[in-house]
Amino acid sequence: MHSTVAAPPVLTAVAVAKSYGPTVALAGVSLQIAAAESVAVMGASGSGKTTLLHCLAGIIEPDAGAVTLAGPQGALRVDTLGPEGRSRLRRQHYGFVFQQGLLLPELTALENVALPLLLDGVDRHRAEAEAAHWLAQLGLTGMEERRPGQLSGGQHQRVAVARAQVGSPSVVFADEPTGALDSRTSEQVVTALLQTTTGAGRSLVVVTHDQRVAAVCDRVLELSDGLIVNEHVNRRRAA
Amino acid sequence: MRTATRLTGLMLRRSTDANRASLALPVVAFAVVTALTLTVLGGARFFFTIEGPTAPLYQSLAALAVTLLLIPLLTLCGSAARLSARRRDQHLSTLRLLGAPTRTITTMTVLESTVLAAAGTLLGVLGHLALAPLLGLLTFHGERLGAGHILLGVSGTLLCLVGLILMASVSALVGLRGVVVSPLGVRTRQSAPRLSWARAVAVVAALGAGMLAAQALRIDQGTLSIVVGLAVSFGLTMAVLNLVGPWVLGVVARRQVRRAGGRFTAERLLAARTVLDNPRAAWRQVSGVALTSFVAVFAGVGLAFTNVLAAGGSTPEDDLLLADLRTGIALTLVISFVTVAASVAVNQGADILERRELFTSLERIGMPLDGMDRARRLAVLSPLRVVALGSAAAAALLVLPLTGTVLLTDPLSLGTIAALLAAGIAVVWVALRATSPLLARVVADA
Repeated sequence: MHSTVAAPPVLTAVAVAKSYGPTVALAGVSLQIAAAESVAVMGASGSGKTTLLHCLAGIIEPDAGAVTLAGPQGALRVDTLGPEGRSRLRRQHYGFVFQQGLLLPELTALENVALPLLLDGVDRHRAEAEAAHWLAQLGLTGMEERRPGQLSGGQHQRVAVARAQVGSPSVVFADEPTGALDSRTSEQVVTALLQTTTGAGRSLVVVTHDQRVAAVCDRVLELSDGLIVNEHVNRRRAA
Repeated sequence: MRTATRLTGLMLRRSTDANRASLALPVVAFAVVTALTLTVLGGARFFFTIEGPTAPLYQSLAALAVTLLLIPLLTLCGSAARLSARRRDQHLSTLRLLGAPTRTITTMTVLESTVLAAAGTLLGVLGHLALAPLLGLLTFHGERLGAGHILLGVSGTLLCLVGLILMASVSALVGLRGVVVSPLGVRTRQSAPRLSWARAVAVVAALGAGMLAAQALRIDQGTLSIVVGLAVSFGLTMAVLNLVGPWVLGVVARRQVRRAGGRFTAERLLAARTVLDNPRAAWRQVSGVALTSFVAVFAGVGLAFTNVLAAGGSTPEDDLLLADLRTGIALTLVISFVTVAASVAVNQGADILERRELFTSLERIGMPLDGMDRARRLAVLSPLRVVALGSAAAAALLVLPLTGTVLLTDPLSLGTIAALLAAGIAVVWVALRATSPLLARVVADA
């Protein structure tokens, strides 16, 4: 199945394939993600969800196929970039939220959020001001100096959401962002994630097992054995 | 006991690739410690067989060299034990959560530490046997040492091995407290540990006491008194430096974090926060250089001293003594540099493996490998500068009352000190570079 959208795509994958030894993780996936669109990727464990996300995000190189990002300077072939180019791409065009947040335990919440900007050579004062703004947007005022170990699960994920937004990325990738949270906190985190991405004109690709998360996304793709086997547009979101 | 033995065996057999690497590191560290400890003790024993009027002087110098070398070797032994304990933390925390009794966990800790330490010490004995013929080629007191004089002997070797293995087990048990008290606490870092300013007061007091002792010894200008004075001052100051070092590193790192400005890059922030997160660990990585800096000052002054003696018209016996002094200083330095290199490489290797998740996270958000490597190197090199210069300054303060400013400011002395400080920093830099491929592998596997 080839997944398409009507609006101009910001991210396009064509026949993306990836294997790990004899195990086929992706068997030729094609899809398009539109600007300001939220897409949930679902499927059983081992269906290839995370591998797809990693290929789209330039974390790993696909064995075959093409991934293209419609960047501000024109189309950019993600799959042909070298390690340095992929690092730059992730730093400048993408944002990430993972199940465990993957915040750096040594840094404070403010520093964790400011880190992508510092990596891009932004002045410390500006980076921290921007980080403080995003923490405030996510209701984390007063938490700036706390370290990840001093935050609750929900706060931890909201810091990760703030970090994903701070560089004004085109696409935000989230891998089971609510996997370790209770239902109420999950709802808060997903709301924050949607408001800060699609609400601000950015695209969101979220890998999830959680039907409630999928229900609030514009589109749901279902993967099985490395292929998209089902796709549906959420009526409420489409309206 | 049977459950603990079976579980320990299972965990050792079922190690993943990364775990195998973290198993190998403590074994290598124990091997280096054992080989060098046996060689240092064996070599020192030779000087206690010398007879004649210069024998007490040789024996005092040998005791001084042993003191200089054993402290960092035992520190490395402690690091090796901690490495093996850290490897177990996660497994033991999980077992604790599953309801394993304290006795099982304690037995598993002791067993695994003992097995790793025993494997390392056995390899170390082979290293000692390989080193003995090489060092046996050195000439002391007019005669070639010979491998037989370096080998420690069966009883001495056994005693040494038992001591090192015991030390490993005790260190592992001490490190276990976190697991036994709080199964979830081991991997939860909640706040950066703060170290008391009282440590700074302790170092000033000890330096003062050391200087007074050195001043008192100066009344009797005998060479033996100077050697004893140096040994006492050294031992005291090294102990206090170990107390105050982490605190100083924490203060410097905190200032670096607070310092604003355009030059404050992500690498610098990460490096400073890494030090601040665990100043004791940062200190352990560079504490070996505190020793080489100390030895650098002693060596510089010692060489200037031997030059002065030689210029004053010397007898053949004096010439022999001076040649032996130079050989002894060079040997002590080489061994301390090897210890420093091993310590940095082992600690860095373990650090990379332990912080795998952190590097994965940095990789995901787009930090280039070079940047991660630079941050890691900065986290060692920045404290290193503080340690090298601080220790050299402390050593100069202690040596000053014994030798006066003339010897300390002698061009030969200053040149030797500068060259050795540079060599110490270079050794650490090379050891850091040597672990870069491991970081690349960890990031590639992420």
